[in-house]
Amino acid sequence: MSAARPGANVSRVIDDRSVFVGEQRNLWQDAVRRFSKNWLAVAGFFVIVIFLVLALIGPHIAPYDFLEQNIVKAYQGPSAERFLGTDDLGRDVFSRMLHGARTAALVAFFTTIISLVIGVLVGGWSGIQGGRADQFLMWISDLIQAMPGLLLVILINTTLRRPIVNWFDALYEQTRNPFYLNTLWLDYVLVFSALALIGWPGLARLIRGQVLSISEEDYVLAARALGASERHIMLRHVIPNALGPLVVAVTAGMGGAVLLEASLSFLGIGIQPPNASWGSMLEEGRRYWQIFPHLMLIPAVTIGIVQVAFVFLGDGLNDALDPRRIS
Amino acid sequence: MASFLLIRLLRWSVGLLLILFVTYAMMYYGAGDPIRMMFIQEEDFDTTDEAVMRALRAKYGLDQPFIAQFGNYLHKLAQGDWGRSIRLQVDRPVLEIVQFRLPISMQLGFAATAISAVVGIALGVLAALYHNRWLDRLIVTTVLFVTSIPVFVTVPMLLLLLVLILKLIPVPYGWNGLFHRDAILPVAVIAIGPLPGIVRQTRSAMLEVKSQQYITTARAKGVPESRIILRHMLRPVLTPVITTVGLIMIALINGSLFVELILNIPGFGLLTIEGIRKVDYPIIMAVAVVGTLIIFVSNFVVDIIYPILDPRVRIQ
Repeated sequence: MSAARPGANVSRVIDDRSVFVGEQRNLWQDAVRRFSKNWLAVAGFFVIVIFLVLALIGPHIAPYDFLEQNIVKAYQGPSAERFLGTDDLGRDVFSRMLHGARTAALVAFFTTIISLVIGVLVGGWSGIQGGRADQFLMWISDLIQAMPGLLLVILINTTLRRPIVNWFDALYEQTRNPFYLNTLWLDYVLVFSALALIGWPGLARLIRGQVLSISEEDYVLAARALGASERHIMLRHVIPNALGPLVVAVTAGMGGAVLLEASLSFLGIGIQPPNASWGSMLEEGRRYWQIFPHLMLIPAVTIGIVQVAFVFLGDGLNDALDPRRIS
Repeated sequence: MASFLLIRLLRWSVGLLLILFVTYAMMYYGAGDPIRMMFIQEEDFDTTDEAVMRALRAKYGLDQPFIAQFGNYLHKLAQGDWGRSIRLQVDRPVLEIVQFRLPISMQLGFAATAISAVVGIALGVLAALYHNRWLDRLIVTTVLFVTSIPVFVTVPMLLLLLVLILKLIPVPYGWNGLFHRDAILPVAVIAIGPLPGIVRQTRSAMLEVKSQQYITTARAKGVPESRIILRHMLRPVLTPVITTVGLIMIALINGSLFVELILNIPGFGLLTIEGIRKVDYPIIMAVAVVGTLIIFVSNFVVDIIYPILDPRVRIQ
């Protein structure tokens, strides 16, 4: 651990005018060094990278169409021709797993983006504004956080689907635009919004807390005393210092989104067939598990590996970016 | 103390009312008419006779506007009438169903909590005693690893291992009492969930206690090490851990959901899923009431036990 040198704080204050550049310690270089020492976290990082790359290019390298059925070749075990075998309808499991990776990554990506936007807006507003607005917004986020997340998502997903489908039908009747007939991607939108709805309160709380605590720091006071503009303080002090915990929270949020998506489709209320999702593949494979265990094993192991990778990555990031360890 | 409890009670009653209102509104405006769904989804009913549907709706009071329905529900609930199941077990009183299902989940939950607490506290103490040595790292990493795997992955994998490969047990199915062989797998899997919280709490509390002066004093007096750990260290450590254990009930709801679904245990978690799948209003409302009460009671119990264990937080 790099111990704080005497006068480090003083140099940081003067640093605002870039006088003592040599004294500057880079948080991110420090973090990378600490992170790379934790081999479990590094392994998790590489698993996540592989997962994201496969989600991106997977459907292009898939040997078969993930929807192509071939009853004659159903229930095959892994072979040279069929890398991971075939399922009950003779669909190629490897190709379906690649599409499932895309589904999981899409959900993780969009859910995180949506909750982050809401979280930054609400948390930032709450932290800067304070007062009534702050109390009200935090009350709402408390309320959402108090409920069991999975149950809330299940409830939202089951109840929101019908009104939206009806609404789209009505829109089609009015406009005759075939765009409103396709309900395949509607599942995705529903899952994104349901997951984002329970995802934002945590981020909002974190950002609010960061804004509040960092604005109290001596270096912000010093910068203000030196005549720095609010914009400069925001960009130069508050945001860089809040970024560490935010990276950790976002990583955890992505892992959580992948998990919740798999849970939902496992329960049969998330992404609907024929779209491929690891959760629904696991649920389908469970029906034949005593005869064709590979159909259950493959999605189960994949979900397990990705979840473990997310947790270890988050844990490593937390250790590497924890500001208390750096000072 | 009394005013503290009263405020708590008031806040929770308002919360419960709000949750019930939102749930009912989501059912009414979102999930739709359970009677029509019943006729569409289930093949046993091949009639789509409007008169029959209207009669059924009137029977369950579903023909009234939202506010009247919700008011009716609250009115009956206050008198102890939980309504009757519409589709899940047709016309059976919901209270009867809950009385049958809840104890099963409770037994699973309490058994799992007990195991989790014992194992978790033991592992946490061990990790703290071997702080920053390999055993500490092994415990922390293993617990993190095991708990990061979702329940609906763990159960199928264990089934494959224990039933197909090792042939140790037959396929566990249904509920045959807590002391039956079939209950081992569900209890073990549910017990995994709260483990990291307990281990982390115990470990950090132990680390804090380890450097206290009274420990040094005890050691200087020549108190045997085992006695120091059990008498001097564990008692202050247990206080924060009790809090975690009390709040575990919430995590258990999540865990038992999948375990009960996969192993076909007719508990409260399975009831939740079935109720939502079949849009059975009274069942869903009962789940919301009982679920909120469970969270309420466990929070409440923690609030009461905490000052007893730790005199420093006693309320004036």
